[in-house]
Amino acid sequence: MTAMADTSSSSTKAKKKRKKGFEPRIVSFCCNWCSYAGADLAGTSRMQMPPNVRIIRVNCTGRIDPSFVLDALAQGADGVLISGCHPGDCHYTSGNLKMRGRFVLLESLVEQAGFDPRRVHLQWASAAEGDVFRDGVTAMVERIKELGPNPAREED
Amino acid sequence: MTKRVAFAQLTSCWGCDQSLVDLHFRLLDVLPELEIVYWPAVVDYKLKDLEALPDDSIHLGFVEGSCRTNEDLHLLKTMRKKSKLLIAWGSCSCYGGVQGLGNQWPIEELVERKFLQADSVTDPRIPESNMPGFLGIVKPNPAHVKFEMVLPGCPPTSDNTYDVVEALLTGKPFDLPERTVCDECPKEREDKHIVKFYRTHEGKIDPNKCLLDQGYLCLGFATIGLCGAQCPTVNTPCKGCFGPPPSVKDHGAKIISALGAVAEMSPEELKEAFPDPIGSFYFTDYAASYLSSITAKKRKEKEE
Repeated sequence: MTAMADTSSSSTKAKKKRKKGFEPRIVSFCCNWCSYAGADLAGTSRMQMPPNVRIIRVNCTGRIDPSFVLDALAQGADGVLISGCHPGDCHYTSGNLKMRGRFVLLESLVEQAGFDPRRVHLQWASAAEGDVFRDGVTAMVERIKELGPNPAREED
Repeated sequence: MTKRVAFAQLTSCWGCDQSLVDLHFRLLDVLPELEIVYWPAVVDYKLKDLEALPDDSIHLGFVEGSCRTNEDLHLLKTMRKKSKLLIAWGSCSCYGGVQGLGNQWPIEELVERKFLQADSVTDPRIPESNMPGFLGIVKPNPAHVKFEMVLPGCPPTSDNTYDVVEALLTGKPFDLPERTVCDECPKEREDKHIVKFYRTHEGKIDPNKCLLDQGYLCLGFATIGLCGAQCPTVNTPCKGCFGPPPSVKDHGAKIISALGAVAEMSPEELKEAFPDPIGSFYFTDYAASYLSSITAKKRKEKEE
């Protein structure tokens, strides 16, 4: 019924192996109107960036419930990157501002629970800013590589 | 035919029993239908009496409280074995309860704080002989064993428990409602434009208007409507003790989601307004949250 799933055991051996050649798995929520188009632009412009990010398109960052982020982390995502329109540019006028409000609360909640808040990140990238999206992804992957695997991640 | 009932108390305040006894004379309506086979809070039964019963011999087993010690877990498993229908009774049983907030710290730290460092302690020692031993983390009871029914509440009102018992006796269906406390609240609501949050002792509450509209953190919007909006009716903001409606998986995340939409404040102000988000947003159900399950996995990994 609730989020608390039973914790199953996993082998230590496989975990050690994973730490060695660690490639983070990052979930990214991109809004349809700015960042998803920005990511598309980065792709069509053949900009190089690490392939660790799985993009999920949402209509607006305002659609992202904080439980999506927590669910992703509980299922073992090493990081969650949220990318939306710049403040003032939202296609729906204020969805990104709502996300910004939620994000600060989510960040302080995650931090209080003893989980590194750097695993969750919010950035703005417009449809014209393929380079900003690329830089954001590159920085995120570097940051997560430094932090190591998500301790809640189960074996593959 | 009378139904055989058992009430088991795990780690809890036993407030659910209090709430049940508060039925007063209405108890007389249901008592003739019930045969109490185990209820240590009221009748002098011991654990061995419960263990001596044949398997599946209890028609209705009510479990109150959460598992903090190995003894609690043993009692819960025994109840499961002896009962045909097991009911998670109260928020502790459904979600882990207030004691679930302890999941923020490792058990060693909690034990030290309680038995060695508390200001009132004069002879600091950790009791060990004849003790059942603690569990590392509090989980909701449905994560330990299967339950047929859950009834949240801290405590469930006398009427809630009465309704459940009545439904079980007559075979009527009983489902948790999707409505929230706001749906039951008599206060007048307007469009929400919150520019500042107040603590309950600050300012003066207008008794006719919605508490959240006035800037008091009333969690009725994210809390299941079973209690009849007892607290908001008397101008006390809802603390969310009944947990979320059944379709919501994480109470705190839903609260944050709603607050982000109605608060017209800068991110810094919003962050400052809630210095203790876990305590504010997960009063009785932190043990059932995503973050608690992440913490559980994290500690397990450290042990390996």
